[in-house]
Amino acid sequence: MGSRYLLRRIFHAILTIAGIVVLNFILFRAMPGSPERLSHNPNQSAAARADLRARWGLDQPLIPDQFIRYVSTTLQGDFGQSYKYKGQDVTAVIANRVWPTVILFGLGELIAIAVGLVLGAYSGWKRGGVVDYAGNGVSLILYSMPYFLLGMILLVIFATALGWFPTAGMFTLGETYSSFADQLLDFVHHLILPLAAVSLGLIGQYSILMRSSIIETRSEDYVTTARAKGINESRVLRNHAVPNALLPTVSLIGINLGFIIAGAITVEVVFSWPGLGTLTQEALEARDYPVLQAIFLILAVTVVVANLVADLVYARLDPRVRT
Amino acid sequence: MSVTPATARPPGVWALRFASMTSFLGRLIRRPEGFVGVAIIVFFAVLAIAPALFVGPLETVTSASGKRLEPPSSTHLLGTDNLGRDVLNLTVHGARISMLIGFLATIVTLVIGAVLGIVSGFVGGRTDTVIMRITDFFLVLPTFVLALIIAPIVLDIIGTGEILGIRTTLFVIVIVIGITSWATTARIIRSQTMSVKERAFIDRARVIGSGPWRMMRVHILPNVTGLIVANAVLIFAGAILTETTLAFIGLGDPFAPSWGQILGASQDAGAPGLGAWWWYVPPGICIVLVVLAFTLIGGALDDLLNPKARRRR
Repeated sequence: MGSRYLLRRIFHAILTIAGIVVLNFILFRAMPGSPERLSHNPNQSAAARADLRARWGLDQPLIPDQFIRYVSTTLQGDFGQSYKYKGQDVTAVIANRVWPTVILFGLGELIAIAVGLVLGAYSGWKRGGVVDYAGNGVSLILYSMPYFLLGMILLVIFATALGWFPTAGMFTLGETYSSFADQLLDFVHHLILPLAAVSLGLIGQYSILMRSSIIETRSEDYVTTARAKGINESRVLRNHAVPNALLPTVSLIGINLGFIIAGAITVEVVFSWPGLGTLTQEALEARDYPVLQAIFLILAVTVVVANLVADLVYARLDPRVRT
Repeated sequence: MSVTPATARPPGVWALRFASMTSFLGRLIRRPEGFVGVAIIVFFAVLAIAPALFVGPLETVTSASGKRLEPPSSTHLLGTDNLGRDVLNLTVHGARISMLIGFLATIVTLVIGAVLGIVSGFVGGRTDTVIMRITDFFLVLPTFVLALIIAPIVLDIIGTGEILGIRTTLFVIVIVIGITSWATTARIIRSQTMSVKERAFIDRARVIGSGPWRMMRVHILPNVTGLIVANAVLIFAGAILTETTLAFIGLGDPFAPSWGQILGASQDAGAPGLGAWWWYVPPGICIVLVVLAFTLIGGALDDLLNPKARRRR
């Protein structure tokens, strides 16, 4: 891979992250109220308040002193203290919530990519067939449906009415497990419904994109050539059409991450899944700005990095973009 | 143009534009997916314009017509919510809020996107570089999360009240959606502007002494309008979804319930766990129908405007 291309991409990603940090700083200062009101003490003397301001560095000029301080603490992973969880560091509050989200959405993405790509490739190849019509219709509806609505519908059918799955949480409350296997089983039992909501919600997008991508490649000359050489249909699809049609989906996976975050937040709320999504909603309700800002920073940086990786993978797969 | 509109343009130019617009609309609704899409949007637009005509005034806690959480029956076709309000009534009134926010947010998005796109593409040079850097920044950013953070800050600053009879909370949502979703529009309009700029009539306009602003307004804008309209369809769908999600997680206005707000309220009350599906399925279906309709229209427009796609049929 051209190292100049690589360097330029990485440089852009770093610039973007710097922009996000600056934006975060500005937003933090734009929010109403002032931090020293946090102590909620009307009898606080002016001297005590000034003391507090000095301790938090609020008596220093916004730029550059406060900004430098903000950047350096952020780089150290220190986002201050949560308003809602009094006395807890934001980093600690968030750390507990990361892995449920990573498991739920990591698995959801994988399932959606696998199923969506296969479904899209097949229906695009057999255009106008039964699978194409049914698959396309279902994909369009799933694509138009907010993830959380899908979750609420799955919940009322499979948890409330049929009672096959628990309605909320990640583990059964107050349960003591005799073995790790039992605990894992309980976890999987809780995971299935939210996972289904996430993957079903995502399948639509991947399948629609893959379908149109396959339709586009189907009329390319090299596919005609492969057919003319007498290679059978399924091999033409697998070895000639699919690898080329996969390209656009690589960038979609990167871009998508930014959008599935919206889904992540809401699906977790529906199933009370104790991840970053429910944390975001709690923080919104309590107007817990430090937590919100940290979540924004983490998610934004994740998305930028994911896009960078997608770009690099794309360049690896398609030499034409390496300029 | 404001001084002598009659001589500023050749007579009949608007009549021509109107005629071409109606013929285009005709071709659009002759495609099955275009027809279905337009029919659904017209249906919801009618509901949004005069909800009270169909279901009476919006029911509130004090004017609730039923008992709490009644399942669908002949008196309450779609049941009632936890305050005894008729869900059909809420859903029809929700059309007004959702469609209004979607419409206004689309306009804000398109204005920002089109202005930046046209200026960026037409002026070029350093202006272009700066605008495109900002655009790229907004393209990569998870804009929904940004909206999540900006919305409560702006809400706390502005407070509640009314502007032009519309509650400020709704305006905040509109503006937040606008400033977080214009980037794709700006990109698309910019590339079209750059191609229009190279055509001969722009040189002619320059030769007879047109200034850059006039050229952008009179010569570029009409030539990118088709693209703006096509883009509007997708922006509208996205705006409805964003509003729904924002309202769902608690940034809506309980006194002006949109579909997303109804969904959020039902979730907060634990409706799925109580089995009260009638509370959230109707507004949910409305959201899916509207987004689906815009997606269908978008597909039909793509086929009409993009000859390559048409050939593939």
